[in-house]
Amino acid sequence: MSYKIPMGPFHPGLEEPYKLDMICDGETVRDVKLHIGFNFRGIEHLAESRNYIQVIALMERVCGICSNVHTLNLCRAMEELTGLTPPARAQYIRVIVAELERLHSHILWAGIAAKLMGFKTMFMTSFEIREKIMDILQAISGNRVNYAMNRIGGVNRDIEDPQAILKMVEALELEMAHVVIPIFTTSSTARSRCAGVGVLTKERAISCAVVGPVARASGLPQDIRRAAPYAAYAELDFDVPVQTDGDVRARLLVRALEIMESCKILRQALAKLPPGEIHTEGEKFAFVTGTATKRIEGPRGEILYSVSWKEGSKTPARIHVRTPTFAVMPSIRWMVQGARLADTPLIQASIDPCYSCTDR
Amino acid sequence: MTDTTTLLESVSEKLGITTPWVRIGDALWLEPGLKGVREVAQAMNEVHARFITITAYQLLGDQGFCLEYHWDLDGQLLGFAFRLASNSIESIFDICEAADWIEREIHEGFNLTFLGREYEPLQLRQGDTPGVNLREVKL
Repeated sequence: MSYKIPMGPFHPGLEEPYKLDMICDGETVRDVKLHIGFNFRGIEHLAESRNYIQVIALMERVCGICSNVHTLNLCRAMEELTGLTPPARAQYIRVIVAELERLHSHILWAGIAAKLMGFKTMFMTSFEIREKIMDILQAISGNRVNYAMNRIGGVNRDIEDPQAILKMVEALELEMAHVVIPIFTTSSTARSRCAGVGVLTKERAISCAVVGPVARASGLPQDIRRAAPYAAYAELDFDVPVQTDGDVRARLLVRALEIMESCKILRQALAKLPPGEIHTEGEKFAFVTGTATKRIEGPRGEILYSVSWKEGSKTPARIHVRTPTFAVMPSIRWMVQGARLADTPLIQASIDPCYSCTDR
Repeated sequence: MTDTTTLLESVSEKLGITTPWVRIGDALWLEPGLKGVREVAQAMNEVHARFITITAYQLLGDQGFCLEYHWDLDGQLLGFAFRLASNSIESIFDICEAADWIEREIHEGFNLTFLGREYEPLQLRQGDTPGVNLREVKL
């Protein structure tokens, strides 16, 4: 006999509010319906009443974890509409902050995944390392969550001592390479909870048009940093990790490998940081009428901004944000079909969902 | 391996559109003319393009709405803009599964109808009205 089990909108297995209505046969999940919008904030509508400075601060609040990539993408769109080009140093600083944010996001996810696996020691270890990444971000920006780094035509703050930041990154890399990644990739706890669980096949990943680490864990080698490079990514060498199993373990491995790739990018960017200005100095600008559509590879995948402006206006006519979780979350339905009920919190967490982004 | 330019030419050919792709910023745009959104979605499926999103705009005065559909083809961002003669457009959900949530969101945010599909509430709660989030009410 089938029965329905609701999970959420508020549940210990969920980090933020959303709801899964699961149809189960015994302990096996047969199908699921997802519901979002419990914290919908109407940010796209609010943006239409904010000027070009206020709107950056507003869009930074779309997400509490990947706040920087939202302002970066918005500023890139506004730069297209104003004709401003950020200086080379600003482009490198944008990469550095974006990669630190990716590290922060992936380690935060690793901690939450560990908690859901019943691996509390790993949860505490991950959060300790996360604090150190936030220390680096604080050393650069003065802030630990919303860094306020991006502006139209560049960045707000310089990295005055790249060598000091490099030392912090190297210490972090060592800790991740010797503690986090070996445990996640070799421990029997992680393997038994993740291998063969929550599979998203390559065919289903294509039809759902998933993005980011979820796509790469299902064998799709897509990454906007590589496919359509922005900021200084074209000048940096890095690999795009891909796994083919499509299960929770593959998603875990992709993120673990991405942590090492981010460290590789950071080392290069800090070493090659060019001298010069960090933003266009004293240059007057004006918006032209039109729409700029920009994409960026956030920690959870591709983020798209469509920004429309009317000449002479201080406020945008329209801002549309397609966040990665909005693209990936519907695929949970296919991941949990046939799964054990007890695995569903871990499966839904394996996409690294951001409800804040989804309920923008 | 077929390169992106060849694939883009094949899309124009399949749709019978002779106007060229136009680059605006990062995106290449093709004017769909009289072609419907379902024909475009079918052509995108045939070249294995990845659906990204739909952006809805309310146009000035009584001009109605515009929907911009985006796909990714081998890393190239593609765009197609459709002006809505009425408050409705054909759904592509049955041929493009990934369009489900964004069609539902636009329906709830702008009170536009995607023909040929059924809706379940996505963000709206019981008692909420479609169109209150983003649709401007002309006084």
